[in-house]
Amino acid sequence: MNRKIRTAAVIGSGVMGGGIAALVASAGIKTLLLDIVPFDLTDEQKKNPKERNKIVTAGLDNILKSRPPLIMHKKDADLISIGNLEDDFEKLASCDWIVEVVVENLKIKRDLFAKIEKVRKKGAIVSSNTSGIPLKSMSEGLSDEFKQHFLGIHFFNPVRYMKLLEIIPGKETLPEVMKFMSDFGEKILGKGIVTAKDTPNFIGNRIGVQCMIKAMQLMVEEGLMIHEVDALLGPAVGRPATAIFKTSDLIGLDTVGHVSKNTYELVVDDEVRDSFLLPEFINKMIEKKLLGNKAKAGFYKSEKTPDNKKISKVINYNTLEYEDYPKPDFTCLAEVKKAKTLPDKLKAIVYADDKGAKYVWKAIAHGLVYAANRIPEISDTIIDIDNSMKWGYNYEMGPFETWDAIGVQKSVEKMEADGFKIPANVKEMLAAGISSFYKTEKGKIYYYDFASKGYIEYVVSSNIISLAQLKGNNKTVKDSKVASLIDLGDGVFCCEFHTKMNALNNDVTDFIHAALEYVDENGAGLVLGNQAGVFSAGADIVPVSMGAKEKKYSEIEYILKNIQNAVQKQRYAPFPVVAAPYGLTLGGGCEVCLGADRMVVHSELYMGLVEIGVGLIPSGGGCLNLWKKFVSSIPEAVTGVDLAKYFFPAFMAIVTAKVSTSAADARAIGFLGPKDRIVFNRDYLIGEAKKEVLKMIDEGYTPPVKRKLKIFGEAAQGMVDVEILNMQKGNYLSEHDAFLAKRIGYVMSGGEAATNSEIDEEVILKLEREAFIDFLKEEKTIARIDHMLKTGKPLRN
Amino acid sequence: MRNAYIVTAVRTPGGKSARGNFKDTRPEDLLSFIVNAAVEKTPNIEKKDIEDLAIGCAFPEAEQGINIGRIGAQMAGFPDYVSGFTINRLCSSGLEAIAGATLRVRAGWSEIVIAGGVESMTMVPMAGNLPRPHPEYTKINAALWGAMGTTAETVAIRYNISRHAQDEFAYNSQMKASEALKKKLYKELVPTPATKYVLQGDGSYKKETVIIDYDDGIRPETTIEGLAKLRPVFAAGGSVTAGNSSQTTDAAGAAVIMSEDKVKELGIKPIAKVKCYTTVGCRADEMGVGPKYAIPKLMKLAGIDLKEVGLFEINEAFASQAIYCINELGIDMAKVNIHGGAIALGHPLGATGAKLCATLLSNMKEKGVKYGVESMCIGGGMGAAALFELCE
Repeated sequence: MNRKIRTAAVIGSGVMGGGIAALVASAGIKTLLLDIVPFDLTDEQKKNPKERNKIVTAGLDNILKSRPPLIMHKKDADLISIGNLEDDFEKLASCDWIVEVVVENLKIKRDLFAKIEKVRKKGAIVSSNTSGIPLKSMSEGLSDEFKQHFLGIHFFNPVRYMKLLEIIPGKETLPEVMKFMSDFGEKILGKGIVTAKDTPNFIGNRIGVQCMIKAMQLMVEEGLMIHEVDALLGPAVGRPATAIFKTSDLIGLDTVGHVSKNTYELVVDDEVRDSFLLPEFINKMIEKKLLGNKAKAGFYKSEKTPDNKKISKVINYNTLEYEDYPKPDFTCLAEVKKAKTLPDKLKAIVYADDKGAKYVWKAIAHGLVYAANRIPEISDTIIDIDNSMKWGYNYEMGPFETWDAIGVQKSVEKMEADGFKIPANVKEMLAAGISSFYKTEKGKIYYYDFASKGYIEYVVSSNIISLAQLKGNNKTVKDSKVASLIDLGDGVFCCEFHTKMNALNNDVTDFIHAALEYVDENGAGLVLGNQAGVFSAGADIVPVSMGAKEKKYSEIEYILKNIQNAVQKQRYAPFPVVAAPYGLTLGGGCEVCLGADRMVVHSELYMGLVEIGVGLIPSGGGCLNLWKKFVSSIPEAVTGVDLAKYFFPAFMAIVTAKVSTSAADARAIGFLGPKDRIVFNRDYLIGEAKKEVLKMIDEGYTPPVKRKLKIFGEAAQGMVDVEILNMQKGNYLSEHDAFLAKRIGYVMSGGEAATNSEIDEEVILKLEREAFIDFLKEEKTIARIDHMLKTGKPLRN
Repeated sequence: MRNAYIVTAVRTPGGKSARGNFKDTRPEDLLSFIVNAAVEKTPNIEKKDIEDLAIGCAFPEAEQGINIGRIGAQMAGFPDYVSGFTINRLCSSGLEAIAGATLRVRAGWSEIVIAGGVESMTMVPMAGNLPRPHPEYTKINAALWGAMGTTAETVAIRYNISRHAQDEFAYNSQMKASEALKKKLYKELVPTPATKYVLQGDGSYKKETVIIDYDDGIRPETTIEGLAKLRPVFAAGGSVTAGNSSQTTDAAGAAVIMSEDKVKELGIKPIAKVKCYTTVGCRADEMGVGPKYAIPKLMKLAGIDLKEVGLFEINEAFASQAIYCINELGIDMAKVNIHGGAIALGHPLGATGAKLCATLLSNMKEKGVKYGVESMCIGGGMGAAALFELCE
């Protein structure tokens, strides 16, 4: 059967339902969003369709208003149609996938599924986003055909941003349906798929909630304070900065309370069932409605000082009063700061012996033991548990990776000494002489399988290419401190930056030159890509700042020329160059992408030319190539086009330092052209970029011919002057902004040139460089750069 | 010089640009309709008796281009020998047309001329389709091309016109207009055909015509509290909002100007005559203050005291500038824009001069007021003002 999801339905328009609808619509699928008719309507209101749809309308409204946005581009909202469960239920008959996200109440869910069974078309997939109710009870009494197409599909909040998608087969679910939804979730929705068993809270929340509540209990036992726990169990151990209590404030204490109670009731056989019981003070907080961010008071509360400064206070769990708190001072945290890698950090903290370290050790050890004891109960593999924690809780390492990092043998010895009961499966593994859960051989990852008592290769989708694995398998053909050139196979190479935040500097530029030369000699095409936290935060401004202060302008100009040459070289190279940006792609990072033949981008793309924030102008060909991207879409047959209509959006994107909120938004702004492709799964990016290169070669790639570029010319500058006047008078621009903006307009329009004429690309590049150097001579630009280096935030002066 | 009279003055309703009743109606259609209406409403004349059409238009390009005065005459079915031209002084274009046509008749060069104005702000945007400020002169005086709303903010700041005062003024404009709409007091308004593209069941559109007999910018539900909630449009932390600015509008207006000899020959009872007209320049960045200078200049030229003027139509480009001018001149607010102004009814740029003339004359007739003044501010920094005297 060739299954397709043409239309999806989401029943329930709350936070999760709305989030799912927004994601599915963002992926380009028509989505029907349904919710109940309000209970409290008057007879008059009952006749009014608007009143009947009030709940779902509010749900859709929340989707559109959410910050950060749940929907990738506002026009995607067109794909969502709304209705209520009484008047529009029949519409489910045309849906290929029906997602249930209603209140966690077995009777309500069962009644709903019984109704759905009557209208759904044969073969339509029905899924539940429940986290607490067993699938088997929900589908009880329904037809076999229904059960064969019924499964649990559990998203994490916020749906757009959290990678984890747990898929839970029922006993009767067809393998074909499981396979289809896994592929669909991975490829179309871009999620990381974990197959879970039908056990309470599945994998992510079972492990995650235990970890969280155990950490809370241990805090009280060990006599630590809330802010201390957050400092210890955050980035220091590879977990999000919101750690334990800030995360709870975010989720809401009532939800935490509900989840803990619900889990406690369901996990009757858990060896540490009590670790789902909240410390008493939290129940008191819930009673007092100190529910977290939504109540503007939870474990933390922000207050304003008399001089209107915002300060954060933390609750003292003995008194339930909010108090000022200092930065926690643990020696183990100082040690962590010195460590470079996460395993080093972990080792530095769990084996130290100050109060903080002892706490961290206990919290982590309990978590590791709990995770190992859950196999095979909730999952057969350590991989699925690790992935769940990384994708659903943003841990840098899952429990078993963490265990490897701190040394399994060593930690187990310490656990035994501390009176922990070591899980039998782990003991057995160590007894067999195996002392790590993972191993890498020839670039392949193997994980230890408790059932077969041996290593199994971790096989991922063939669409996924891991640069780390390729490097581990000696596929690096060129290497430096700042970048590597990796053989992706089939003659395609990947130029990977690996500086801090993947910032660009002259060494990276030199490497790009060298990589282009290498590929020209030895390869068929190049991918510009990497697999870190951000694609590139832009150029490193430290050398620029130093150069400016020492007035080494000719050296700076050389650096600019070098990057411009690299960008031009890649553009006119005799082989295809495809950039594969994702996440933050700013300044120089954006310029490198704009200079590529094509882009294959992740749907989460935050791209922008933000140089004006530090008082500068894009000078790695950014002005040239953004403008070129805009005008190159005009067919040659079209003459006398009003270039102002093209010029202003491009100009304003640079002058207002516009950063896209998604790839769809980047396309709307104009950073992406019609040939640039959006990929939903970030892990696919390098693979898809490679495919793009091969496709271009296959289609008979010839490099673009360098011709004169259409420019708007001097007329633009009159328009810019007027626009800048309006904005400046409206207090939208400072005097320095206005000064910078006018010059940027001058550069982008081709300088002193006739209106609607043509010019050599090199002229615009030269204008970029001259403007950059002139800007560096401005005190206010230097102040902006210094401020950015000091605070990480732009200065408006 | 001999006398010339306005014997008829009419206007179309105003339709909000881009969203309103005339968004699909070509400006040539509005114009040809209103000049025909002017002829029909004048006893004892026919199209063949008209010599020339003088038509104000602020952005005479694209749909309003070539020469909409001549195109309007032809489309209205005037004989070939009836000529037409387009005249532009931005927001006073319609008044400029009426003043100029009056002079032509008074000079004895014509007997009957139609003067008016037209603007489809839907079809031709403010500043035109291809704004091209001079790239060197903008370095010296970019304000000549600047946004009008910015000048309104400048006036508000420079002369301390508070947000509340602006909102209150806007509210009053809406209330006066609502009252006039309810009581059917717009005697000068001619119900006008509008084009509509009506969506059909198969997704195609069908062009239909409907008759519009009201100004669609009037909002009887306006409250001061509601106005206070609107966000400033032109400046961060500013005071000028969509609610206390004029609406952008599509409309047309026309007046029939006739010599004294012809009036007598045809036995027509004229409404009024243009007693005097003047213009004056001011700083471009505060163009809204134009009436403050134009009205005193007009009074002095005409030798009439401002106190003798019974009614005013002072264009409400923005509440800030209108308040400033009215207060500075010490004009009794009760005499100003008695049926609401552009904040409620819209400001169709080149048509406004002719539109306000029709409204003023209708109100003068209704109230038996001898002298009426029409005035407006003009982009680039100018003011225009005209004095009308009611015929007995």
